[in-house]
Amino acid sequence: MTTELKKQLVIHDPTLRDGQHAVRHRLGADALRRYAEAADAARIPVVEVGHGNGLGASSLQVGQAAVSDDEMLSTVREALRHSRMGVFMLPGWGTSGDLERAIDHGADVVRIGVHATEVTLAERHLGFLRDAGAEAHCVLMMSHMATPEELAEQAARAVGYGAQAVGIMDSAGHFLPADVTARIGAIVEAVGEAPVIFHGHNNLGMAVANSVAAADAGALIIDGCARGFGAGAGNTQLEVLVPVLERSGYATGIDLYALLDAADLAERELMPAPPVTASMSIVSGLAGVFSGFKHRVVQLSADAGVDPRDVFFELGRRQTIAGQEDVIVDVVAELSGRRADAGI
Amino acid sequence: MGTCEPLTVAVIGTGAIGQDLVSKIDRSPTLDCRLVAGRNPESAGLRYAESLGYATTAGGIEAVLAAPRPFDVVFDATSAAAHREHWALLEPLGTLVIDLTPSKVGRMVAPTVTGVSPATGRNVNLISCGGQASVPVVHALAAHFPVTYFEVVSTVASESAGRATRMNLDEYVATTGHAVSTFSGVADVKAILNISPAVPPATFRTAVHARIADADPVAVRAVVDKVAEEVRSFAPGYAVVACTAVDDLVTVTLQVMAHSDVLPPYAGNLDIINSAAVMVAEQYAARPERTARTGVSA
Repeated sequence: MTTELKKQLVIHDPTLRDGQHAVRHRLGADALRRYAEAADAARIPVVEVGHGNGLGASSLQVGQAAVSDDEMLSTVREALRHSRMGVFMLPGWGTSGDLERAIDHGADVVRIGVHATEVTLAERHLGFLRDAGAEAHCVLMMSHMATPEELAEQAARAVGYGAQAVGIMDSAGHFLPADVTARIGAIVEAVGEAPVIFHGHNNLGMAVANSVAAADAGALIIDGCARGFGAGAGNTQLEVLVPVLERSGYATGIDLYALLDAADLAERELMPAPPVTASMSIVSGLAGVFSGFKHRVVQLSADAGVDPRDVFFELGRRQTIAGQEDVIVDVVAELSGRRADAGI
Repeated sequence: MGTCEPLTVAVIGTGAIGQDLVSKIDRSPTLDCRLVAGRNPESAGLRYAESLGYATTAGGIEAVLAAPRPFDVVFDATSAAAHREHWALLEPLGTLVIDLTPSKVGRMVAPTVTGVSPATGRNVNLISCGGQASVPVVHALAAHFPVTYFEVVSTVASESAGRATRMNLDEYVATTGHAVSTFSGVADVKAILNISPAVPPATFRTAVHARIADADPVAVRAVVDKVAEEVRSFAPGYAVVACTAVDDLVTVTLQVMAHSDVLPPYAGNLDIINSAAVMVAEQYAARPERTARTGVSA
C-alpha cells in the first residue's frame, strides 16, 4: 500500500495542557521545554500548552499554575521548529485579551472549549479568532451529556461562528466506541468540510478504541497525550494511538521511535507516575463526572470521612460540570451530615 | 415622600433582566414605567410588559429618545457595547441612566458598600451579578483582615444567561475584577464566570476565595454573617452556604435565591442586580431637592 492511499489525520497533543490537571498545574518551564522539543522531534503536528483549564485559568478554584501563561507560551514557542503551537481557552475563564496575547506569542491553533450544549458561549471568541488569523477550533466538552443530534447542531453553529475545526471531548471518559461512532458521524454530516476533532479520556479503558472509532467515522483531528498524561485515568495514550491508527490504515506523519522517546521523556520529567485506571477513575467514568474533580473529591472525602465513590455518583446525579469545583464541598458536607445524623 | 409624583421610567432591553426589572418597577410606588423598549416585536419581555398594561415598542433606543419629554430614569438592560452607544445618546438629556450591563462606564454601585444615592454623575453601573454578590464580602474581609489575593467564581444557570450575557463574558470578567479590586483595595484579583447547564438549574452562587495569613475561621464567619444580613435588606435570598478557612485560604460561598414575580428561584443572579438597580432609582425619587418640589414632575 502506498502512503498516498492512506487518509491523513492530524494528531493534536495536549500533554502540556491537559496533563497539567494531573500535577495540579505545576509543570515548570524546563519540563515544558524538554517535552516540547521531544514532541517537535517526533513531528507531532500540534503541541498544546497552558494551564489545565487553558489561558487565564490559573486560580485558587482549580489550582494556580507554576508558570505564567506568558512564560509557558514563550518557552514552548522557542522549543518548536516544526510543530504548530496550540492553546485552549474556556470563555468566562480567559478573555479575548488572553487570546490576543497568545497569538502574539505565536499560537497557531486556538481552541475554545464550551460545555456540550453551550456553543453560544463561544460565539464571541470564535468571531474574534476568525478576524485575528489563528486557526480556530471549537470543542464541545462533557459530550456524553448530549445526544448525537444535539452535538451535530451545536457543531454546525460553531462553524457558523467561525470555527475552522469542531469536535467533542469525552471529558468524563464515559463513551464506548458505538457512542463515538454515532456522535462523530452525526457531526461530520452536519459540518461539511470542517475537520472534526475527537479527544478521548481513558476511564473505562476505551480511549484508543474510541479514537479509532472516531477516525473511522470521519474525524480528522485526534487528540492524544504522552503516557495518557491527564486528569484521573488520563487521556488517550498518544504513543499507543499513533501506531494503532497507522496499522488501521491512517497516516499521521509522526516518527514512531521519536514518539516513543518523547513518551519516555514525559514519564520521566512530567509526572510522578503515569495515569492508571484507578478505581476512582472507573467510578468517575461510570458516573459521567469531569475527571479533573478527582483530586478534590478524594481529598475532601478523606477529610470528612465519606466514601468518595458516593461523592462521584452524587456529583453525576447533579450533572456537575467542570468549573463547579465548589459543589464538591457541598456534596461532601451533605453526605457527611447524613452519615452523622444516621449515627445518632 | 409618598406625596411626590413618581419618576418616569423607561426600560431598554426585554430579556430576562428587562422583564424582571419591569415586574420590580411595577411594584414600586415611586417609579412609573412609561415605556419598555426592545428590538424584537415577538419578544416575551415585550408581551409581559404589555400584559401589565405598559407601553411597549420594538423601536429600541430611538423610541426612548423620541419620547416627547426625556424620562427621569432609563434602565439599560441590553449589552455592554450597546450601553456605550445608549449613554452617548442619553447623556445630553439629563436622564439618570442605570446600567445593568458590565460596561464599566458609570459609577459602580453595590448598595451596602457604596449606598444607592446617585450623588455624582448620571450613569450608575450595577457591575455584574457576581459583583453584587461578592463586593459586600470582599469589602468587609479586606477591612478586617490582611487579604493579599481575591478570587470570585460565580456560577449561573444556563437558563438565566441570555445572548447579551453570553456575548459579554469578557466584560463580565473585567468589570467584576475591577469592582472587587476597587472596593477591597486588593490589587491581585481574579473573576471567573461559569454558565451551568445542570438540570435542575443550579441556583446562582458565588465562591469568594481569599488569601489571608492566619485567618481565624470564627472571626471570618462573624464578619461574613453580618454582611449577609445587610445584603438581605434588599436581596432576601442572599445566604452564606459555606465558610471555610484552611491554612491561608478562606472560601466563602454565597448563594442567592430569587424573590421575584417572574424569575424562577435559581435566578438569584438577575434578582440581586435588579433589586439593587431599583433601589438606586427609588433613592433618586426620594432625594431631598425633589421632595421639596412636591407635586412638580421632574
